[in-house]
Amino acid sequence: MKTSVQPDHRALAEALRRRVLEGPGRSDPALRRAAAASAAGGPPAEPPYDELARQIGDAACRTTDAHVANVLQGTQSEKAAFEVIFAASVGAGLLRWERAIKALEEVTDAPA
Amino acid sequence: MRLREVERGDGVGNRLLIRFISMVTRMRLPDAARVAFYHKDFGGPLGAWTQAAMRGPSPWTIGERELMAAMVAKWNACTFCVSAHSAIAAKQLPRTSVDRALADFRAAPIADGLKATLAFLEKMTVRPWELTPDDARAVLRAGVSAAALTDAIAVASLFNIITRYADALDFAMPTEEEFDRAGVMLLKRGYGSR
Repeated sequence: MKTSVQPDHRALAEALRRRVLEGPGRSDPALRRAAAASAAGGPPAEPPYDELARQIGDAACRTTDAHVANVLQGTQSEKAAFEVIFAASVGAGLLRWERAIKALEEVTDAPA
Repeated sequence: MRLREVERGDGVGNRLLIRFISMVTRMRLPDAARVAFYHKDFGGPLGAWTQAAMRGPSPWTIGERELMAAMVAKWNACTFCVSAHSAIAAKQLPRTSVDRALADFRAAPIADGLKATLAFLEKMTVRPWELTPDDARAVLRAGVSAAALTDAIAVASLFNIITRYADALDFAMPTEEEFDRAGVMLLKRGYGSR
């Protein structure tokens, strides 16, 4: 049912973070968190994952077949490779969410 | 598509569904939809947030939110998402406004509040570490409410995720006519396939 209440973006962002970076999957959640942190400009993930994670964070449009092939070789599973790509993307997106909401909240106490 | 299983679908049910939709719509199901069908348990929260941000209640129209998505795609150089979301935006806003915003949003015939918001979203996308409260203050001074800016930030955050996996996975580019038809479906059905 439609309501006039705006979405609770903060809760939706947190649900995404928890599922992708902490939840079960074919890949180790610690690897997903490392890929997300690397894509957000944090410490590097272990090889062969860091090169792809960093590329996704900096300029995903310049990702190459080799970046993905190397990750696939590491994970030995397409589903796990997908999770790493997804996690790196989420890391870069949620970094922006947090920075932008912080800038807004420093001006007003509006709920996010 | 760099991962074959995402393209084919995981499980017999999804493979049949992808074939069925492609047959009924007489076009290859776009890769964005294939990702939405894949590993649903994992990506479900992204679909839920996208549906809420793009189609939920908001001071922004659907056309304005689709334009924001297209602009984030442009700043991230994601050709697939620029084409997909500018096609949808142009079904809700004048085509010239969409095209001129993509060329130079500051000179486009769009509302001042939307221009100020796009300036914030551009910095958030390209130089997020430089965002300050003054950037948010400038948007509020343009008459945009804090709730509206929050909605816009959610749209831009989501498309900073979606554009990245679209390019990392190397989504195949549909034709202009296929983007147009897919846009009609996204307007009708929303983003709730996850």
